[in-house]
This record gives sequence, structure tokens and C-alpha cells, in this order.
Amino acid sequence: MTAIKNIMANFKKYKFLMGQLILRDFKIKYKRSVLGVVWSLLYPILMMSVMALVFSNMFRFQVEGTSYLVYLLTGIIMFQYFSEASNLAMTSVVYNFPLINKIYIPKYIFPLAKCLFVGINFVLSLIPWFLIIILTQFGLGNYPASINLYYLILPLIFLCLLLFTVGMGFFLSCVSVFLRDVFYIYGIVLTIWQYFTPIFYSIEIIPAKLQFLFEFNPLYQYLTATRSIVLYGQCPSALNLILCVVYALIAMLVGCIVFKKNQDKFIYYI
Amino acid sequence: MIKLENISMKFNLGIEKNYSIKEAFISIFDKKRRPKKTDFWALNDVSFEIKQGEVIGLIGSNGAGKSTLLKVVSGVMKPTKGKVTVNGQVSPMIELGAGFDFELTARENIYLNGAILGYSKKFIDEKFDEIVEFSELRDFLDAPVKNFSSGMIAKLAFSIATVVDPEILIVDEILSVGDIKFQEKSKNKMMEMIKGGTTVLYVSHSLESIEELCDRVVWLEHGKLIKIGNTKEICKEYYKKQLNK
Repeated sequence: MTAIKNIMANFKKYKFLMGQLILRDFKIKYKRSVLGVVWSLLYPILMMSVMALVFSNMFRFQVEGTSYLVYLLTGIIMFQYFSEASNLAMTSVVYNFPLINKIYIPKYIFPLAKCLFVGINFVLSLIPWFLIIILTQFGLGNYPASINLYYLILPLIFLCLLLFTVGMGFFLSCVSVFLRDVFYIYGIVLTIWQYFTPIFYSIEIIPAKLQFLFEFNPLYQYLTATRSIVLYGQCPSALNLILCVVYALIAMLVGCIVFKKNQDKFIYYI
Repeated sequence: MIKLENISMKFNLGIEKNYSIKEAFISIFDKKRRPKKTDFWALNDVSFEIKQGEVIGLIGSNGAGKSTLLKVVSGVMKPTKGKVTVNGQVSPMIELGAGFDFELTARENIYLNGAILGYSKKFIDEKFDEIVEFSELRDFLDAPVKNFSSGMIAKLAFSIATVVDPEILIVDEILSVGDIKFQEKSKNKMMEMIKGGTTVLYVSHSLESIEELCDRVVWLEHGKLIKIGNTKEICKEYYKKQLNK
């Protein structure tokens, strides 16, 4: 109990700093760009358009009975969140070494601030995402997407995605302090991960015997849960939801423990 | 107020730098290629106590462990051995402007740097004008800090760092900030804080300013505490020792 109280007190104390760090990232991201924050809305739409053109026209990709645009866009914004946030979180501790070396600041703030910063972008990108869903009702694409009460489960799924990403961020940022190679290795891992996550394809195209392997991919769980609500108007299966939560908790637990155990050693590896 | 009990701080000079997977892999097979563990004791069994309101000067040659000691007190580093007890809020002025983002404007940096130093939003809102006034940079408030001269950056940083009345102030050679006028001003500000009952840990190579400001002096050499006590006597001895070498 006291541990939780301490954590909360610490959160409260550094809430303002967290806000300032996120604000800083925001300002710098859109500095000197004419469209500014509109890019957060436009970017996923443009990505979707390009991918839709390439995959549905050139490769004739379809996911039967669903709106391929929404299928794609859901995959893109969710994977994009994970890859961008975990990548930024990974480098955040090392990049803030000049600061960590001079002033005492709890170090977990840096990866967490990055995950929240990208999280705001993610929430913004839900606006065009929902817009496309509405437009499919009026004949955009082959099939309409579904709007239903299960949408209320979405925040839980997105929260799990956030927690999973934060856990990964803690872990990666900690390991990369001791082994800078992780910066490069993780870039490769992300590319592989991207292809083993059904973003533009359906796992139906994978041999049935191998499909179970996807269950071990947390991102697949988050995508599947979201898609079953949005595309099929169905509540995600119990197993699916449980795995969403379990993967998030495992990542958080491992990330926090590894980070907490090693954070006092960071200073020697500057 | 501040209590240091048998503080030792070990650095491992061997594990530093270039330790990549390649090297890690090679070192599995080749024992000679393993990073050498050269222990370096930046602080070695240092103990002393500082009472509230005392101004303590830290002297010693380069690499004597002064900055490491400041980092241990401010919580940046945890000592390898020993125990630090610090009662009260610490305001570290170890290096001014460390928390600046050069892309942001002066106005934005006041908030960012204030947050890094642990101020609340309300506090910065209240003190904003005071900070700007002291820094003499009102005309440049909305210019990005990257366009500032180093003197201007130091002025801004000093103004942000000293706007609080911290219980413990940690100062590492900063009195020579800005132009002559500002130097005078910052010195007065320091004096004001010192007289206001702040506990100060002050590192400087200028024995003159140490003698002027400090109640007691701690003399460190090679991480060891050589002497602690009367400012004048120790400064004199230190000066002699330095020149005789």
C-alpha cells in the first residue's frame, strides 16, 4: 500500500515536469511546419491511401466481407503508435544523459513522457480514423464498417496497448544504456515485427497450422480486438481480451522491474 | 541538515565506452580483450556534517572529487558505500542551463527549466516577471535560445535557478556569469540567499571568493578528506601546498 502511495506522490510531484516535456516535444515536432498539428490528422490518412493503392490495386489484397480501408487504417495507426513510441522511449534515457548527469530527476519520466506524447498523436489520429468509418457507411469502399456499443471496450484495448508500449519502452531504454547496439537491433526487430503483424494482410493467408503463432504477438491481439469491434460489430473473444490485458501486464512488470533495478547504474555508463 | 557518513564512490574506468556486442562476443573467447576493471575511487571514506545555514566551501585540485561530492549530495549519484542524509529541498546549480532546449524560446525555457528544477506551475507563474527582470532579457523573451549568446544563456539560467529560496544550494563555480554588471548582481543575489539562512555547498578555485563567503572549508584531495575547518587557515595551507608542488 505504501509503495503505491509513494508512486502516486512521486507522480503528482513530477506531473508538471511530465507535462512540460510532452509540450516541448509537441512544439518541436511542429516547429516551422505550415500545417502544424494538422499533420497528425493527415499523416495516417495519407499512409492509408498509399497502402490501399498499393495493396488493393497492385497486389489485389482483400479481406473478405470487410472494409479494407478501415482494416488497413486500424492496423497502421496502432502499429505506428507502438513503433514510434517504443522507439522514442528507447532513446529517451540516453539522449537525456546531459540532464541526468546534473540534476536529480526520476529517470522513468523520460520514456513515459515519450509514450504519452506519441499517445496524444494516436488519439488525434483516431479522428480521421473515425471519419473514414463514417464515410464507409455512405459507400466508401466495398463494405461498411460497423458502429456499435462495443466501442466502449476500445479505451480498454488502447490502454492495454499503451501499457504494453510503456513496458517495452522501460525495458528498451534501460538495456540501451548498457548496450547501444540495441538502437540498431531494435530497428531491425521492428521491421520484422511489422511483417509478422497482420497490418495489410489477413492471417487467413497464412497456412492454418501456423496461424496459432500469431497469438503470441501482443500487437496481433490488440489489432484483432479492435478490428472485431470495428469491422464485424462483434465483442472480442474472451481469450482475446484476456491476452490483451495479460501481455500489457507482463510487459509493464518486466519493464518496471528491469528499469528500477538498473536505474542507479545508468550514471556510470554516460 | 546534510550528513555524510563514510561516503565512497567507485568508478570503473574499464567498462567505459565502446562496449558493444562485438566486443562482448570477442571477450567471451579472449580473456585479454575483456574490459579491464580499473577501480577508481573518486571519493574515499569521506564523512562530515553540515549544519543548517552554514556556507561550506569545497577546495582541492582538479579531479579531487569535488563535483562528485556535489552530485552525491544532490542525489544524481548514489554512493557506492556510505550513507547520505539530506534534509531539505536541494537546488542544484551544478551546471547552468543544463535543462534548456535550444529550439524553444526563452519564455518556454523558463517553464521547462523551472519544471526540471522541481518548481510548480503556480510558482513559475508568480515568479515569471521576477525571473525576466533579473535576467535583463525582456526584449528577447520570444526568441529561440539557440540565438542567444552564452552570456545571455547563463544569465537566464542563473535567474531561473536562484528565484527560489532553496533550503540547500549547491553551487559549482558560477559566480563569473555574464558581464561585469551581472556578475556584481549575481554575487549580491548569492549573498542575499546566504544571509537568508540557506545552507550552501560552494565549489570554487577562487580562494578569494571562498574566503569571502564561506564559514568553513572542506579540503579534498584524491577523493580523500584532507582537512575541514577554519576557512582562512585551510585556504592558506592549501595555497602553499599547491604552489610547492
